[in-house]
Amino acid sequence: MTTPKDKSGAKALNMIARRGGGPLILAMSAPILGGLLLIWQAWTLSDVLGRAIEGGEAASALMPAVAIVLGLLLVRALLGAVGEQAGLVGAERIKRHVRQALFTQMLARPPRATDLAPSGVAAAAIVDQVDAVEGYFARYLPAALQAALLPLIFGAVILPLDWVAGLLFLVTAPLIPLFMALVGWGAQIATDRQARALSHLTGRFADRLRGLLTLKLFGREQAETAGIVDASEALRLRTIKVLRIAFLSSAVLEFFAALGVAGIALYVGLTFIDYLQLRSGPLTLQLGMFLLLMAPEVYNPLRLFASHYHDRAAARSAIAEITQQLGVSPNMPVTLADIAPRSGSPIDVTLSDVTLRTPDHMAGVALDISVHVSPGQNVALLGPSGSGKSTLLEAIVRLRDHTGSILLDGRPLDQWSEAEMRGRTFLLTQKPRIIHASIAENIALARPGATRQEIERAAEHADVSGFAGGLSEGLDTLVGEDGVGLSGGQAQRVALARLFLRDASLILLDEPTAHLDQTLEREVVTRLLDYARGRTLIVATHSEALAARMDKAYRLVGGTLLSTPLLNQKRNIA
Amino acid sequence: MKALLTFLPLFRQRSGAMLLALSLSLITLVAGVSLLGTSGWFITATALTTAGLGFNLFVPSAMVRGLSFVRILARYGERLVGHNATLRLLSDLRGWLFQRLFPRLPLPDRSLRHGDLVSRLTADVDALDTAFLVAIGPLVAAVIVGGAITAVLVVLLPAAALPYGLALALAGLGVPAAMVAAGRRAGRASVAARADLRMGVLDGMKGHADLLLLGFLGTTAERFEYLGEETSRLNLRLGAITSAGSLLVQVLAAIALVGTLWAGLVALEGGRIEGPLMAGLVLAVLGSFEVTGLIVRSTSKATQAMAAAERLVALAEMPTPVLEPASPVVIDRSDQTISLDHVTFAYPGLPSVLDDITLSVAAGERVAIIGPSGSGKTTLLHLLLRFSDPQAGTIRLGSTPIPAIRTADLHANMALLSQDSPVFIDTIRNNLLIGRADADEDALWQALAKAQLDGHIRTLPKGLDTIIGEAGRTFSAGQARRLCLARALLSGAPVLLLDEPTNALDRETEEAFFEVLATAAKDRTVIMVTHASIPDGTVDRVLTLEHGKLA
Repeated sequence: MTTPKDKSGAKALNMIARRGGGPLILAMSAPILGGLLLIWQAWTLSDVLGRAIEGGEAASALMPAVAIVLGLLLVRALLGAVGEQAGLVGAERIKRHVRQALFTQMLARPPRATDLAPSGVAAAAIVDQVDAVEGYFARYLPAALQAALLPLIFGAVILPLDWVAGLLFLVTAPLIPLFMALVGWGAQIATDRQARALSHLTGRFADRLRGLLTLKLFGREQAETAGIVDASEALRLRTIKVLRIAFLSSAVLEFFAALGVAGIALYVGLTFIDYLQLRSGPLTLQLGMFLLLMAPEVYNPLRLFASHYHDRAAARSAIAEITQQLGVSPNMPVTLADIAPRSGSPIDVTLSDVTLRTPDHMAGVALDISVHVSPGQNVALLGPSGSGKSTLLEAIVRLRDHTGSILLDGRPLDQWSEAEMRGRTFLLTQKPRIIHASIAENIALARPGATRQEIERAAEHADVSGFAGGLSEGLDTLVGEDGVGLSGGQAQRVALARLFLRDASLILLDEPTAHLDQTLEREVVTRLLDYARGRTLIVATHSEALAARMDKAYRLVGGTLLSTPLLNQKRNIA
Repeated sequence: MKALLTFLPLFRQRSGAMLLALSLSLITLVAGVSLLGTSGWFITATALTTAGLGFNLFVPSAMVRGLSFVRILARYGERLVGHNATLRLLSDLRGWLFQRLFPRLPLPDRSLRHGDLVSRLTADVDALDTAFLVAIGPLVAAVIVGGAITAVLVVLLPAAALPYGLALALAGLGVPAAMVAAGRRAGRASVAARADLRMGVLDGMKGHADLLLLGFLGTTAERFEYLGEETSRLNLRLGAITSAGSLLVQVLAAIALVGTLWAGLVALEGGRIEGPLMAGLVLAVLGSFEVTGLIVRSTSKATQAMAAAERLVALAEMPTPVLEPASPVVIDRSDQTISLDHVTFAYPGLPSVLDDITLSVAAGERVAIIGPSGSGKTTLLHLLLRFSDPQAGTIRLGSTPIPAIRTADLHANMALLSQDSPVFIDTIRNNLLIGRADADEDALWQALAKAQLDGHIRTLPKGLDTIIGEAGRTFSAGQARRLCLARALLSGAPVLLLDEPTNALDRETEEAFFEVLATAAKDRTVIMVTHASIPDGTVDRVLTLEHGKLA
């Protein structure tokens, strides 16, 4: 009764297990060795008790045996600690591998794919859900091996010494996993549901937190607080449902473990008073004590297994959930390389009969567009918002699917290598990401290894220096998620500064001056046009003032592109 | 530890369930110890007895069976009760944090990253809510069970009481204290590394297109790998402390067992103890190792909980940006004049943004404030919403200085459409309802019509119930902005504060928007900050803010 998801999760776990390497093997073998030593320890301890109580031997005579017991206890403690740490090392290796695989594969996908998970979900998956595999590798796998081997080894050792006890152990021990499997099925399904609920809740947190201030201003404090509490309560009810079953399986174990101890105690006791006579030979106190000491130990590996059983279920669910949410495999990291800018002559852009659709393919945003932008020309792209200007710009640099033909320098887009495409073009997106780093680092994204001087010059060109000068640490000021601490216009200028490090032959700008006032716009555009000399430039804008300084302007209206007359202003007046 | 105590009231709310869980866990442990001890005593006694079948079987065999069943039931009950209480506490904690967070908005700290905040809410609260179940409960149980066995030993085998008691005290108190001391810094570093890792993912995903276009994916992947390695390394350092702790506890347990055994052997030889009792005690001590096994895990959880508590408390105890009035004045809706009287404001450590500003906006008046980027236009709006108080001067609504009005009332009176008003991952309907929860269908469409978005939404197959993605992914930036405008219009606040409302709208839509604004905002006061050129008739007055002065 395994679900397909369970199966795919199990398969994925097997695949990544290999990354655990030596530490994982050590983690699995150390407890087995400890188990073997335990037999010796129990035997010696019962020997001491038997000889002292039944044989009346003096304490001093038992000193060596007591020393052996102590020594074995210490060695087993060491083995336990080593195994534990090795398990963690192995699990960390695997987690690192999985995170890298997920992250790089996400980066390798087209950024405008519609089925990409929201970033909050991706963060929850890559950071939190990946943690769920730690329990599986560090604890579940070693526990599973112990549960499979140790009860059988213990039973096999005990069987020749006392067939009744041996048989009891050998029969009851395998029954336990059976019962647990019965109980575990229900738990697995519930766990799947819970994992999904958890990730939804985290996604909801991320989203609501982003807009917390807006919620406050609309007086939604009470409602949203209640909403979060309700969502948590719903998760609690779900979780309790899982636990009610999961704990049942551990109760089954507890039952057998207690039964084992009680059964052996009664069996041994009754044999001593000759009430039971199942043995061929007499029973010594030492042997009786040995059986009693081993009784809980036979079930202990199974109890350990049970307490980590949910680790397996959680890991399978998590990995299947991750795969489903992100749509990428947790196993194979992709090697990604930076692409350095390449200078070259300005690029010729020719569009014939190009049709573009919204990401969900619901509506066409551009229909049968044909246009030619000759090398070095500066062109404005006007049009109502939502008319598809951004989509068109993104299609030109291969971020969007299109039908018809887009030729750069006479070559279709698919004949451009990624290195050439990114090295020679630049697109400033409408809402560029300011990463959590300093302003200077944000600018230097455009050219890793750019000198400080180059960065400063770029900052100067985009008029970043103007406002950065007023900050306590200037260009080294840390700017946060979504450019916290920067206004919309400031963030836009930081992103624009990247252009000046890129040396692109085709420059596409999406609303570069949307947040700027007229004076600032004029200054920035002047520097921009200066830089764009000898490069092809296409600017999507609402600003007539900006458009007026271009060689040519087109208007995208209702999916068609019309050439539009420029205002009298000519460029090069600056 | 002090931070953890802050949450005492929350813990206390669930104290009944938690005490029940603790009692059940004690019963489980004591039943286990007694079962093994009784069994040891029983088989030794039967081995030594000469009474044969005359041996009184009834009491020991009943005890053995009874203890087994008590243990099974108590264990199941303990886990269920404990987990349920824990999860309730989780809901409590989340609510608690939201409640604390809202009044502290906007958060002043620019390094308080979004990813970090999410990690606080989920991971920290998780770490804290299990504090009782997996940290405090087992530690308390270990100390109680250890103490009880020591007491029994004092009576029955005094020579063993000292080594056992000492070893258990060290294991139950000394080792946890040492682990906490060693683990605190490592724990904090580990949590910080995780927050960085999360930020790495968010930067990569939200900046995906930009990073691709800049050819920066290689370094992005490399940096992420480094963050992953750091997280791993710090996690392993924490793990090493745990492993060392468990080694220490096991060594102390070995000393306790061997100490008891040796004391028993000596006492037996001296005739001060009977064989069955001695065997029973040794086995009981062995049985009590069940509880020492939990010590280490509990301690590492306790360390995490303390670190989490500190972070949460730091967030929750941040000073509120402004003080709520002790005896709030109710807004007089008939007097909506907004006036600034010699207002001066500067951000901490920076020169004044607003310098001695005086302005009066009559009820129903429409005012535009223009000026260069960064000239303080947005700050002015924020002062009206009382995100901060000016260093000098007074802002009044009607004749009431705004510090005398509850901020919630003030916000209900003024709707803000800001530069980064978010679209939530939800249906269009729910996004609008945030503006006014009880708005009916007609009101929603009216608001959408005013924002000129109704046409587009009617073409969507699911209409108002279309779910819009992150940052309104299926919406253009302009459409997302207009949805936020519709939300602000829906709220019914008599004052509208607009912060660059036509940003990312083209000229035609912009002009149409201003036209709509003139009619939509009839009977409302409008204060609009913009750098767009405003068509005649849109506003009554245009003011320029430059160098901190209004002209």
